Amino acid sequence: MALLQISEPGQSTAPHQHRLAVGIDLGTTNSLVASVRSGEVQTLPDEDGNHLLPSVVRYRKDGVEVGAVAAQHAIIDPMNTIVSVKRFMGRGVSDLRLLGSKLPYHFVDEGMVVPRIHTSGGDVSATEVSAEILKALKSRAVKTLGGELQGAVITVPAYFDEAQRQATKDAASLAGLNVLRLLNEPTAAAVAYGLDSGQEGVIAVYDLGGGTFDISILRLNHGVFEVLATGGDSALGGDDFDHAIAEWVLQQAGYQGDPDPSLVRLLMHASRRAKEDLTVQTETEMSIDTDEIQWHGALSRDQMNRLIEPLVRKTLMSCRRALRDADINNEDISEVVMVGGSTRVPHVRNRVGEFFECEPLVSIDPDKVVAIGAALQADVLVGNKSDEDMLLLDIIPLSLGIETMGGLSEKIIQRNTPIPVSRAQDFTTYKDGQTAMALHVVQGERELVSDCRSLAHFELRGFPPQVAGAPRIRVTFQVDADGLLSVHAREENSGTEASVDVRPSYGLTDEEIETMLRSSMEHAEEDMQARTLREEQVEAERVVEALDSAIKADGELLTEDELNSISARREQLVEAKTGDDPVLIKQAIAELETACEDFVARRMNTSIRKAMKGHSIGEYAKED
Amino acid sequence: MTDALSTNYFDLFEIPVSYDVDLVRVQHRYRELQKAVHPDKYANAGAQERRISMQHTSLINQALHTLKHPVERAMYLLQLKGVDFTMDNETTMDAAFLMEQMEMREKLESVREKDDPLAELDSMSADVKSNMDVMAEVFKQAYTSGELDDAREAVRKLQFLYKAKQEITELAASIEDEII
Repeated sequence: MALLQISEPGQSTAPHQHRLAVGIDLGTTNSLVASVRSGEVQTLPDEDGNHLLPSVVRYRKDGVEVGAVAAQHAIIDPMNTIVSVKRFMGRGVSDLRLLGSKLPYHFVDEGMVVPRIHTSGGDVSATEVSAEILKALKSRAVKTLGGELQGAVITVPAYFDEAQRQATKDAASLAGLNVLRLLNEPTAAAVAYGLDSGQEGVIAVYDLGGGTFDISILRLNHGVFEVLATGGDSALGGDDFDHAIAEWVLQQAGYQGDPDPSLVRLLMHASRRAKEDLTVQTETEMSIDTDEIQWHGALSRDQMNRLIEPLVRKTLMSCRRALRDADINNEDISEVVMVGGSTRVPHVRNRVGEFFECEPLVSIDPDKVVAIGAALQADVLVGNKSDEDMLLLDIIPLSLGIETMGGLSEKIIQRNTPIPVSRAQDFTTYKDGQTAMALHVVQGERELVSDCRSLAHFELRGFPPQVAGAPRIRVTFQVDADGLLSVHAREENSGTEASVDVRPSYGLTDEEIETMLRSSMEHAEEDMQARTLREEQVEAERVVEALDSAIKADGELLTEDELNSISARREQLVEAKTGDDPVLIKQAIAELETACEDFVARRMNTSIRKAMKGHSIGEYAKED
Repeated sequence: MTDALSTNYFDLFEIPVSYDVDLVRVQHRYRELQKAVHPDKYANAGAQERRISMQHTSLINQALHTLKHPVERAMYLLQLKGVDFTMDNETTMDAAFLMEQMEMREKLESVREKDDPLAELDSMSADVKSNMDVMAEVFKQAYTSGELDDAREAVRKLQFLYKAKQEITELAASIEDEII
């Protein structure tokens, strides 16, 4: 038996080895990648020194362009140039119609659940478009950092529902990124500020991006960031400000009818510039000159404020609701962190300052703050800071429930519940002799299922016929740390079971993802094999490394027999890992895990005991 | 404590098994426990360890929820004494109590017509809150003296009151949103 390696006390297993990890802010308008390098967190620029990557993808017959190059063609080639794709993530065709009639794209509408946009480069889903942006950031990071990435923390709006989160995670898989965690954007921003100033107390994070709005209320306490409540609107942002200005311009110009995609782009572009000008100036000139419309005029800041006020008000209503959910008063908020480019608009800053009765924090670039927080978290998660005390406790933004008789939603997990969480509820049959039950999983706050978001349908079949009301069907919802849901149903009298990992109704299936991966590779078959092998090898490395440090830390919990048995299986795995058969590696991992089952559980209990040890009553006296 | 997954929530948080809980202490222990088991602490571990970490974190979150919740905490205490609530379809038979509840509902339905509905809702909310405090006392008395049927009846009433309080808050919220 080979001897287990043990490293110097107080050092990680490989102290010299800095693992490469990044934080990615996948934004509606712009995206960024950041990383911690030699103890410094920074956003990574491209070759031309640009940190922001415009979230724009252009599909051509012979390839894909991402970023500034693509953005330059947004006006002349609107059909093939996808902007603000984040707004389509996890959405169905009918949702997209609600986003407004002014979308320039041709949606392929053949009764498909996942909407696809028709482009010269083929039909693409929002997930694939986002994957292109992620790939561009990944290759920038690999180039800058000089090595393979161990993992990435990708941020999502706190208010993103299950379907939108899953779509984001799928995009990351397509881009070949190992997702350490989906992190809520406001939490990331709080990390960026919190670690900077080491403050304690309750803070609000107001995040108004290009297409989404989030408000989160967090409590900071000894490195623990506890999200108390979150709210927002996943379809409200700076784009809507531009829209309001564009509508106003059309009105001023006396334009009747339906503007074509090019004109819409042009107007939105001009409106955005006007909005940006009005951040520093009090008035700006606007000029639109096309075949259909010639207009020249001035827009004052006051006028713009009036145009955007209804939108800003909507955000403040969400703030009020979040405060109420958190059971916190305005005056208990010690700081307000501003995130997102749209918080540069002076009217937004003023209104938010008024509402919370304090001067908003703007010292970190609002465009970069999320990526910076994500990078800090990635650095911790990947294990570069082993003694780090930082911990982020997130919550679920929207209630999860099951459809019951009459089309009503019975909530199983309420919004603002800390995650991970597992909760069960019992249901029963409606008719005598019923042997199956259709379960419809929904997300949202409304009573009626039709007003909630449909997440998944699945069936529990084959339980014995009984009189109505007799069967006890226990439905268990499990939400993981990323906010992703799996559902399990079991008829208690007979033990009949069924379960699903919720693939949202508008999400991609595993097969679709695999097909996309295949088609994106030239030598599909070999590449897929190589990829699977690599994935298993990485998992094997992870398992072995974790085991070694576990034994180092808590080896005394094992009897000699147990240690021998575990060591033998560890050897087996190390052996299998050098081969090229992913199935063998997988088996070896499973066997090692079986041998370790008790040990892992014992360790978990020990660490709980350690955590609870040595607390005196006095410690709690001055808390909260 | 031998196994966290089979320990009762009070022992898990190392507090006395009682309706009265020190929420500050609970909150503090919650953070300590999370630091020990949260999946982020196992981001580099194998799938098995991550799964077990998720189970434990879920349990701790569930425990926190139950310990903080005025009704669920009471139900949990009774469950520890072997009272089964899962098949409980009966409701309270206390006619006077039910009458009071109905009157409150009617008041709630017509509150929008009042001059100052928010002030009205505030006072209703305060009433319900004090009724809940009274009922919690009734529960504690019955529970500690082993009168489990009485304790169960108190829990049913607490459930009513808690629901009413939530409805009042919801209504106040939507009225507030309209004014803003």
